[in-house]
Amino acid sequence: MKKILTAMALFLAAAMPALGQTADELALKASEMAYYQGKDGKSGVSLVVTDARGRTRRRDMTILRYDIQDNGEQKYYVYFHKPSDVKGTAYVVWKHAGKDDDRWLYLPALDLIRRVAASDKRSSFVGTTFTYEDISGRSPDRDHHELLEAEGDFHVLKNTPKDAGQVEFASYKVWVDKNTFIPMKAEYYDASGKAYRLIEVLEVEDIQGHKTIVKMKATDRNSGSSTIADFKDVVYDIGLKADIFTERYLRNPPRQWIKEGP
Amino acid sequence: MKKSGVFFFALLAAALLFAKPGRAEWTGLHGFAEQAFGLRLNDDKLTKRKTYNMLEQRLQLKSSYVFSQGPLSRWQGFFQWKGDFTLDEYFGEKTDFELREAFLNLNPEPFLDMKVGRQVLTWGTGDYLFINDVFPKDYVSFYIGRDDEYLKKPSDALRLSFYPQPANVDIVISRFAPNDMPEGDRLSFFDPFQGQIAGRTVDRVLLEPSRQAENLEYAGRIYRNFASTEAALYVFRGFDKIARSYKNEALRQLYYERQDVFGASLRGPFGGGVASVEGAYVRSPEDPHGDNRLIENSMVKLMAGYEKDLGGDLKIGFQYYYEQKLDYGAYARSLQPGDFLWDEHRHLLTQRLTKLFKGQTVAVSLFNFYSPSDHDGYLRLSVSYDLSDRWKLVAGANLPWGEDDWTEFGQMKKNKNIYFRARLSF
Repeated sequence: MKKILTAMALFLAAAMPALGQTADELALKASEMAYYQGKDGKSGVSLVVTDARGRTRRRDMTILRYDIQDNGEQKYYVYFHKPSDVKGTAYVVWKHAGKDDDRWLYLPALDLIRRVAASDKRSSFVGTTFTYEDISGRSPDRDHHELLEAEGDFHVLKNTPKDAGQVEFASYKVWVDKNTFIPMKAEYYDASGKAYRLIEVLEVEDIQGHKTIVKMKATDRNSGSSTIADFKDVVYDIGLKADIFTERYLRNPPRQWIKEGP
Repeated sequence: MKKSGVFFFALLAAALLFAKPGRAEWTGLHGFAEQAFGLRLNDDKLTKRKTYNMLEQRLQLKSSYVFSQGPLSRWQGFFQWKGDFTLDEYFGEKTDFELREAFLNLNPEPFLDMKVGRQVLTWGTGDYLFINDVFPKDYVSFYIGRDDEYLKKPSDALRLSFYPQPANVDIVISRFAPNDMPEGDRLSFFDPFQGQIAGRTVDRVLLEPSRQAENLEYAGRIYRNFASTEAALYVFRGFDKIARSYKNEALRQLYYERQDVFGASLRGPFGGGVASVEGAYVRSPEDPHGDNRLIENSMVKLMAGYEKDLGGDLKIGFQYYYEQKLDYGAYARSLQPGDFLWDEHRHLLTQRLTKLFKGQTVAVSLFNFYSPSDHDGYLRLSVSYDLSDRWKLVAGANLPWGEDDWTEFGQMKKNKNIYFRARLSF
């Protein structure tokens, strides 16, 4: 029964653009597909950064996600496995709609929980070409959305920030897959209209009935750096509880979900 | 190497041998090797070496063992250890081993976590300033330019963490360990017995509380969140971590007087940044009326801090700290001719600035202490560069200064240094 409903929902959603889906609805749907599938989820993530001179750096982590409301409040837990000098570092984000997120960082060598002042969501996520917003999502209500002419299998959305002072881009375009509603590509433009930043989805897999991004790439044409993100062992609806995202588990990683590798 | 180190490693080797291969219960061996060198900016003839105050090699190893069977596995038990081998050229190639962590972590009930053994303990809201964090620190490492990790000294403790609704409770029972403070051979400081900044000529005895059950220390914290704001109450019964009181003046004996601390803190988002306030009443039970000239008086300590992310990987932070000696009149009246009269009030301001460059591989950091009441300060600068995921280079400077010789930073003024560290992590 549930499957039938899902299928119907997908069918209806797919049919909607033809019925005159608005740009705002499309932006919401794309955000939901990229960041809010299932009630919760777990993923191993490896980020490989390549700088302009071809040198690579690698970060491995486990990310736990817990949704309070679709396209709204969310909680994230990030545990770092590599590189070894940050192994054991944990990070909790309470993502809010309409106000700054709350972030805490745990540094195991000092047993220190630091409250992270984090108003700048456009800064690099742990030194990679991805920003915090690329990892945990940019709330659709921060932008004005405009539907451009479709290109092949993709709807094309042009997004202009409501508060230009908060971001480094003038606008960005997103190519949303007409069938899955997954945002497959995003291109960011500066004030002169130059496309300086690109995010591409390289692989999508079906996991527990959810079309899921398992590989994506960010390229910064200004610095010449790029980062490939691989999402491994993605699982949905594992029954996470809200208390995982608290000081207790920052100090003491939830071993049920986070396995220590060698 | 100390005997405890040899013993520990024999134990570890035995455990590794008996751990069945293929079960992967031991997580891998990690750590780093580091070479560090710290050059004095002004010759200090008072200390053992007049041109440098750090030249050492360090090997840190750590691992943990996850119990996969028996009662300890039902309690999600794991054992974790971390130890540092050092070869210290400053003290003539002295080798040493410091066990920084060796604890068993258990989760016997859904609402209870237990951590028993040697562990680093931290709480409170300050940035390099501590009011309710009464756990031992190493200020020698801080002033000579070792990594921030070494500012915290481990405690031998039992930590019980309860998670009932509506608030969480931490209880820590620990054995007393003093702060590592400058003692003259590596860093010169103000010696009240000599009435001046002194080095190797320092001749005094620091008496620690004897190791018996009645000298155990107790620290507690109750904390909870109100939406995004964190609130905490703290209580501590133990000893001052710095030997500030006199046991016997003629024998030059200082000791760690008893201390009780009752405090509170709040931390939460404010104006696009993070604001915090923390305060405590620090009671001196051996001198409750403040009229014993040999024992530290009770105090009130308060601080407020603010940190903000300005974007572009630039962060700034400010703190104001205030300290007041209570029963000051009684203290002043109790003094004898020739005694030193310490101030009643102390005001301290700190500024932090951190900026990251080159894909966050270069971090430039500035931290400044300035006391308008003591007319002294301490500037800490550092630049670190992550050459790769394994190699990290750090250069920095420690620049304490002061008009007088006896203030907290003024007494350190002959210890200005620049330092370099190269670290290979694995």
